[in-house]
Amino acid sequence: MDKLLIFFGMALATYFTRYTMIAVLGREVPPLLQRWLRYVPPAVLAALVVPAALAPQGRLALGLPAWAAMAGAFVAWRTRSVLWTIVGGMAVFWILWMLGA
Amino acid sequence: MKNFWRGLLATLPLAPGVVAFGLLYGMMARQVGFSPREAWAMSLIVHAGSAQFAVVGMWETAGVVPIVLTTLVINLRHLLLGASVAPYLRGLSPLWKALLALWMSDESYALAIAEYERGQGDHLYFLGANVGIYLAWTTSGLLGALLGAAIPDPSQYGLDLFFPLGFLGLLTAFLKDRIGVAVAVATGALALLGTVFVPGKWIIIVAGLLGSGLGLALEEVERAWISS
Repeated sequence: MDKLLIFFGMALATYFTRYTMIAVLGREVPPLLQRWLRYVPPAVLAALVVPAALAPQGRLALGLPAWAAMAGAFVAWRTRSVLWTIVGGMAVFWILWMLGA
Repeated sequence: MKNFWRGLLATLPLAPGVVAFGLLYGMMARQVGFSPREAWAMSLIVHAGSAQFAVVGMWETAGVVPIVLTTLVINLRHLLLGASVAPYLRGLSPLWKALLALWMSDESYALAIAEYERGQGDHLYFLGANVGIYLAWTTSGLLGALLGAAIPDPSQYGLDLFFPLGFLGLLTAFLKDRIGVAVAVATGALALLGTVFVPGKWIIIVAGLLGSGLGLALEEVERAWISS
Protein backbone atom coordinates (compact mmCIF):
# COMPACT_ATOMS: atom_id res chain seq x y z
CA MET A 1 0.00 0.00 0.00
CA ASP A 2 2.87 2.42 0.50
CA LYS A 3 3.29 2.32 -3.27
CA LEU A 4 0.01 4.22 -3.49
CA LEU A 5 1.38 6.89 -1.15
CA ILE A 6 4.42 7.35 -3.37
CA PHE A 7 2.16 7.59 -6.43
CA PHE A 8 0.17 10.35 -4.75
CA GLY A 9 3.41 12.14 -3.87
CA MET A 10 4.44 11.98 -7.51
CA ALA A 11 0.98 13.16 -8.58
CA LEU A 12 1.25 16.12 -6.24
CA ALA A 13 4.66 17.10 -7.63
CA THR A 14 3.29 16.78 -11.16
CA TYR A 15 0.16 18.74 -10.39
CA PHE A 16 2.20 21.53 -8.85
CA THR A 17 4.07 22.01 -12.14
CA ARG A 18 0.89 21.89 -14.21
CA TYR A 19 -1.40 24.05 -12.12
CA THR A 20 0.84 26.78 -10.63
CA MET A 21 1.20 28.97 -13.69
CA ILE A 22 -2.40 28.51 -14.79
CA ALA A 23 -3.56 29.60 -11.34
CA VAL A 24 -1.04 32.44 -10.82
CA LEU A 25 -1.39 33.96 -14.27
CA GLY A 26 -5.16 33.69 -14.03
CA ARG A 27 -5.89 37.40 -13.92
CA GLU A 28 -3.98 40.07 -15.77
CA VAL A 29 -0.94 38.78 -17.63
CA PRO A 30 1.52 41.67 -18.11
CA PRO A 31 1.79 42.55 -21.85
CA LEU A 32 5.55 41.96 -22.00
CA LEU A 33 5.15 38.51 -20.41
CA GLN A 34 2.29 37.77 -22.75
CA ARG A 35 4.40 38.58 -25.81
CA TRP A 36 7.23 36.45 -24.44
CA LEU A 37 4.89 33.53 -23.79
CA ARG A 38 3.76 33.54 -27.42
CA TYR A 39 7.19 32.18 -28.31
CA VAL A 40 7.07 29.37 -25.77
CA PRO A 41 5.21 26.84 -27.96
CA PRO A 42 7.62 26.96 -30.94
CA ALA A 43 10.59 26.93 -28.54
CA VAL A 44 9.39 23.96 -26.49
CA LEU A 45 8.25 21.98 -29.52
CA ALA A 46 11.60 22.49 -31.25
CA ALA A 47 13.40 21.54 -28.03
CA LEU A 48 11.46 18.27 -27.96
CA VAL A 49 11.85 17.44 -31.66
CA VAL A 50 15.46 18.21 -32.55
CA PRO A 51 17.24 16.09 -29.91
CA ALA A 52 14.83 13.18 -30.52
CA ALA A 53 15.67 13.29 -34.22
CA LEU A 54 19.40 13.98 -34.18
CA ALA A 55 20.53 12.53 -30.85
CA PRO A 56 17.99 9.86 -29.81
CA GLN A 57 20.51 8.08 -27.56
CA GLY A 58 22.06 11.27 -26.24
CA ARG A 59 24.82 11.21 -28.85
CA LEU A 60 24.81 12.99 -32.19
CA ALA A 61 23.67 10.44 -34.80
CA LEU A 62 22.54 10.81 -38.40
CA GLY A 63 20.48 7.61 -38.33
CA LEU A 64 16.98 6.54 -39.26
CA PRO A 65 15.26 8.95 -36.85
CA ALA A 66 17.09 11.86 -38.46
CA TRP A 67 16.00 10.87 -41.98
CA ALA A 68 12.45 10.24 -40.80
CA ALA A 69 12.37 13.67 -39.15
CA MET A 70 13.69 15.37 -42.28
CA ALA A 71 10.97 13.71 -44.35
CA GLY A 72 8.48 14.68 -41.64
CA ALA A 73 9.68 18.29 -41.72
CA PHE A 74 9.13 18.42 -45.47
CA VAL A 75 5.62 16.96 -45.17
CA ALA A 76 4.84 19.30 -42.26
CA TRP A 77 5.92 22.27 -44.33
CA ARG A 78 3.79 21.23 -47.32
CA THR A 79 0.67 19.97 -45.54
CA ARG A 80 0.69 21.53 -42.04
CA SER A 81 -1.02 18.33 -40.92
CA VAL A 82 -0.02 16.30 -37.85
CA LEU A 83 -1.36 13.08 -39.31
CA TRP A 84 0.45 13.39 -42.66
CA THR A 85 3.67 14.41 -40.94
CA ILE A 86 3.60 11.23 -38.87
CA VAL A 87 2.62 9.09 -41.88
CA GLY A 88 5.37 10.58 -44.07
CA GLY A 89 8.08 10.35 -41.41
CA MET A 90 7.19 6.79 -40.42
CA ALA A 91 6.97 5.69 -44.06
CA VAL A 92 10.55 6.85 -44.61
CA PHE A 93 11.66 5.22 -41.35
CA TRP A 94 10.11 1.86 -42.17
CA ILE A 95 11.29 1.84 -45.79
CA LEU A 96 14.88 2.54 -44.75
CA TRP A 97 14.55 0.05 -41.88
CA MET A 98 13.42 -2.70 -44.22
CA LEU A 99 16.24 -1.86 -46.63
CA GLY A 100 18.50 -2.51 -43.68
CA ALA A 101 19.90 1.01 -43.54
CA MET B 1 -19.63 19.33 -26.59
CA LYS B 2 -18.71 19.28 -30.26
CA ASN B 3 -15.33 20.74 -29.39
CA PHE B 4 -14.75 18.10 -26.73
CA TRP B 5 -15.06 15.39 -29.37
CA ARG B 6 -12.92 17.36 -31.81
CA GLY B 7 -10.19 17.53 -29.16
CA LEU B 8 -10.53 13.86 -28.36
CA LEU B 9 -10.32 12.87 -32.03
CA ALA B 10 -7.32 15.15 -32.59
CA THR B 11 -5.31 12.87 -30.28
CA LEU B 12 -5.78 9.87 -32.58
CA PRO B 13 -2.72 10.52 -34.78
CA LEU B 14 -0.61 10.74 -31.61
CA ALA B 15 -2.23 7.73 -29.94
CA PRO B 16 0.04 5.05 -31.46
CA GLY B 17 3.05 6.82 -29.98
CA VAL B 18 1.41 7.10 -26.56
CA VAL B 19 0.36 3.46 -26.72
CA ALA B 20 3.87 2.31 -27.65
CA PHE B 21 5.33 4.19 -24.69
CA GLY B 22 2.54 2.96 -22.43
CA LEU B 23 3.19 -0.67 -23.35
CA LEU B 24 6.89 -0.20 -22.72
CA TYR B 25 6.22 1.46 -19.38
CA GLY B 26 3.89 -1.36 -18.30
CA MET B 27 6.48 -3.99 -19.20
CA MET B 28 9.25 -2.15 -17.38
CA ALA B 29 7.07 -1.72 -14.31
CA ARG B 30 6.50 -5.48 -14.22
CA GLN B 31 10.23 -6.07 -14.31
CA VAL B 32 10.84 -4.07 -11.14
CA GLY B 33 8.10 -5.98 -9.33
CA PHE B 34 4.90 -4.00 -9.88
CA SER B 35 1.70 -5.97 -10.25
CA PRO B 36 -0.41 -5.03 -13.32
CA ARG B 37 -2.81 -3.28 -10.99
CA GLU B 38 0.00 -1.25 -9.41
CA ALA B 39 1.46 -0.30 -12.77
CA TRP B 40 -2.00 0.81 -13.86
CA ALA B 41 -2.55 2.74 -10.62
CA MET B 42 0.63 4.75 -11.16
CA SER B 43 -0.53 5.79 -14.62
CA LEU B 44 -4.05 6.60 -13.43
CA ILE B 45 -2.80 8.67 -10.48
CA VAL B 46 0.35 10.32 -11.84
CA HIS B 47 -0.20 10.43 -15.63
CA ALA B 48 3.27 11.72 -16.52
CA GLY B 49 5.08 9.47 -18.99
CA SER B 50 8.73 10.48 -18.78
CA ALA B 51 8.57 10.86 -14.99
CA GLN B 52 7.02 7.41 -14.62
CA PHE B 53 9.75 5.90 -16.78
CA ALA B 54 12.45 7.55 -14.70
CA VAL B 55 10.85 6.47 -11.43
CA VAL B 56 10.41 2.85 -12.54
CA GLY B 57 14.07 2.89 -13.56
CA MET B 58 15.17 4.01 -10.08
CA TRP B 59 12.49 2.15 -8.13
CA GLU B 60 14.67 -0.58 -6.65
CA THR B 61 17.37 1.76 -5.38
CA ALA B 62 15.74 5.10 -4.56
CA GLY B 63 13.63 6.24 -1.63
CA VAL B 64 10.47 8.31 -1.56
CA VAL B 65 12.15 11.72 -1.53
CA PRO B 66 14.39 11.16 -4.57
CA ILE B 67 11.42 9.67 -6.41
CA VAL B 68 9.18 12.66 -5.77
CA LEU B 69 12.00 15.13 -6.50
CA THR B 70 12.81 13.39 -9.78
CA THR B 71 9.17 13.61 -10.75
CA LEU B 72 9.18 17.29 -9.92
CA VAL B 73 12.33 18.05 -11.91
CA ILE B 74 11.26 16.10 -14.98
CA ASN B 75 7.89 17.84 -14.98
CA LEU B 76 9.23 21.35 -14.42
CA ARG B 77 8.76 22.06 -18.12
CA HIS B 78 5.02 22.05 -17.42
CA LEU B 79 5.51 25.38 -15.64
CA LEU B 80 6.37 26.83 -19.05
CA LEU B 81 3.51 25.08 -20.78
CA GLY B 82 1.08 26.22 -18.10
CA ALA B 83 2.29 29.80 -18.35
CA SER B 84 1.79 29.84 -22.11
CA VAL B 85 -1.80 28.51 -22.05
CA ALA B 86 -2.77 30.56 -19.00
CA PRO B 87 -3.84 33.66 -21.00
CA TYR B 88 -6.33 31.53 -22.94
CA LEU B 89 -7.84 30.13 -19.74
CA ARG B 90 -8.29 33.50 -18.07
CA GLY B 91 -12.08 33.60 -18.32
CA LEU B 92 -12.61 30.12 -16.87
CA SER B 93 -13.75 29.26 -13.36
CA PRO B 94 -11.10 28.02 -10.89
CA LEU B 95 -12.63 24.56 -11.10
CA TRP B 96 -12.14 24.40 -14.87
CA LYS B 97 -8.54 25.60 -14.56
CA ALA B 98 -7.85 22.96 -11.93
CA LEU B 99 -9.44 20.29 -14.11
CA LEU B 100 -7.53 21.25 -17.26
CA ALA B 101 -4.23 21.31 -15.34
CA LEU B 102 -4.82 17.81 -13.97
CA TRP B 103 -4.24 15.87 -17.19
CA MET B 104 -2.31 18.40 -19.22
CA SER B 105 0.38 16.46 -21.11
CA ASP B 106 2.96 17.62 -23.66
CA GLU B 107 0.78 16.19 -26.41
CA SER B 108 -2.57 17.57 -25.32
CA TYR B 109 -1.01 20.95 -24.53
CA ALA B 110 0.51 21.11 -28.00
CA LEU B 111 -2.78 20.21 -29.67
CA ALA B 112 -4.74 22.70 -27.58
CA ILE B 113 -2.36 25.64 -27.94
CA ALA B 114 -2.14 25.13 -31.71
CA GLU B 115 -5.93 25.19 -31.87
CA TYR B 116 -6.09 28.31 -29.67
CA GLU B 117 -3.63 30.02 -32.01
CA ARG B 118 -5.87 29.19 -34.96
CA GLY B 119 -8.71 30.84 -33.08
CA GLN B 120 -10.69 27.61 -32.88
CA GLY B 121 -9.63 26.36 -29.45
CA ASP B 122 -11.61 26.35 -26.25
CA HIS B 123 -11.61 24.60 -22.87
CA LEU B 124 -13.74 21.71 -24.16
CA TYR B 125 -11.28 21.02 -26.97
CA PHE B 126 -8.42 21.15 -24.43
CA LEU B 127 -10.29 18.78 -22.11
CA GLY B 128 -11.01 16.39 -25.00
CA ALA B 129 -7.32 16.30 -25.92
CA ASN B 130 -6.37 15.72 -22.25
CA VAL B 131 -8.86 12.88 -21.92
CA GLY B 132 -7.76 11.25 -25.20
CA ILE B 133 -4.10 11.13 -24.16
CA TYR B 134 -5.05 10.04 -20.63
CA LEU B 135 -7.10 7.10 -21.92
CA ALA B 136 -4.37 6.02 -24.35
CA TRP B 137 -1.64 6.28 -21.69
CA THR B 138 -3.43 4.53 -18.82
CA THR B 139 -4.94 1.73 -20.92
CA SER B 140 -1.72 0.90 -22.71
CA GLY B 141 0.19 0.93 -19.40
CA LEU B 142 -2.16 -1.70 -18.03
CA LEU B 143 -1.92 -3.71 -21.26
CA GLY B 144 1.87 -3.60 -21.22
CA ALA B 145 1.91 -4.81 -17.62
CA LEU B 146 -0.48 -7.66 -18.44
CA LEU B 147 1.46 -8.71 -21.53
CA GLY B 148 4.70 -8.58 -19.57
CA ALA B 149 7.59 -9.62 -21.72
CA ALA B 150 5.45 -11.02 -24.54
CA ILE B 151 6.04 -8.09 -26.92
CA PRO B 152 9.44 -6.89 -28.03
CA ASP B 153 10.84 -3.40 -27.62
CA PRO B 154 8.52 -0.95 -29.50
CA SER B 155 11.35 1.54 -30.10
CA GLN B 156 12.95 -1.02 -32.41
CA TYR B 157 10.14 -0.34 -34.88
CA GLY B 158 10.53 3.40 -34.56
CA LEU B 159 7.29 3.77 -32.62
CA ASP B 160 8.95 6.28 -30.30
CA LEU B 161 9.21 8.59 -33.31
CA PHE B 162 5.47 9.26 -33.33
CA PHE B 163 5.84 12.04 -30.75
CA PRO B 164 8.65 14.03 -32.37
CA LEU B 165 6.90 13.71 -35.73
CA GLY B 166 3.58 14.81 -34.26
CA PHE B 167 5.28 17.76 -32.55
CA LEU B 168 6.90 18.62 -35.87
CA GLY B 169 3.46 18.75 -37.49
CA LEU B 170 2.20 21.02 -34.72
CA LEU B 171 5.28 23.22 -34.87
CA THR B 172 4.31 24.57 -38.29
CA ALA B 173 1.34 26.37 -36.69
CA PHE B 174 3.86 28.62 -34.91
CA LEU B 175 6.20 29.43 -37.78
CA LYS B 176 4.13 32.29 -39.11
CA ASP B 177 6.93 34.85 -39.34
CA ARG B 178 10.72 35.12 -39.40
CA ILE B 179 10.92 35.44 -35.63
CA GLY B 180 8.96 32.24 -35.08
CA VAL B 181 11.32 30.39 -37.41
CA ALA B 182 14.39 31.88 -35.73
CA VAL B 183 13.09 30.86 -32.30
CA ALA B 184 12.47 27.26 -33.42
CA VAL B 185 15.87 26.92 -35.10
CA ALA B 186 17.81 28.47 -32.22
CA THR B 187 15.97 26.50 -29.52
CA GLY B 188 16.31 23.25 -31.45
CA ALA B 189 20.06 23.78 -31.81
CA LEU B 190 20.39 24.70 -28.14
CA ALA B 191 18.42 21.65 -27.02
CA LEU B 192 20.55 19.44 -29.24
CA LEU B 193 23.78 20.81 -27.76
CA GLY B 194 22.34 20.41 -24.28
CA THR B 195 21.29 16.83 -24.88
CA VAL B 196 24.71 15.89 -26.16
CA PHE B 197 26.75 17.66 -23.48
CA VAL B 198 24.57 17.95 -20.35
CA PRO B 199 22.90 14.99 -18.66
CA GLY B 200 19.30 15.22 -17.52
CA LYS B 201 16.04 16.73 -18.67
CA TRP B 202 16.83 20.28 -17.57
CA ILE B 203 17.70 21.28 -21.07
CA ILE B 204 14.09 21.37 -22.28
CA ILE B 205 13.14 24.06 -19.78
CA VAL B 206 16.41 26.00 -20.18
CA ALA B 207 16.21 25.92 -23.97
CA GLY B 208 12.51 26.79 -23.81
CA LEU B 209 13.20 29.82 -21.61
CA LEU B 210 16.16 31.08 -23.63
CA GLY B 211 14.55 30.38 -26.99
CA SER B 212 11.28 32.12 -26.20
CA GLY B 213 13.25 35.00 -24.65
CA LEU B 214 15.13 35.29 -27.93
CA GLY B 215 11.79 35.65 -29.70
CA LEU B 216 10.88 38.60 -27.51
CA ALA B 217 14.31 40.16 -27.98
CA LEU B 218 14.09 39.85 -31.76
CA GLU B 219 10.63 41.37 -31.67
CA GLU B 220 12.03 44.37 -29.79
CA VAL B 221 14.89 44.72 -32.27
CA GLU B 222 12.49 44.58 -35.20
CA ARG B 223 10.26 47.17 -33.58
CA ALA B 224 13.20 49.55 -32.98
CA TRP B 225 14.32 49.02 -36.58
CA ILE B 226 10.92 49.92 -38.02
CA SER B 227 10.42 53.00 -35.85
CA SER B 228 13.89 54.41 -36.55
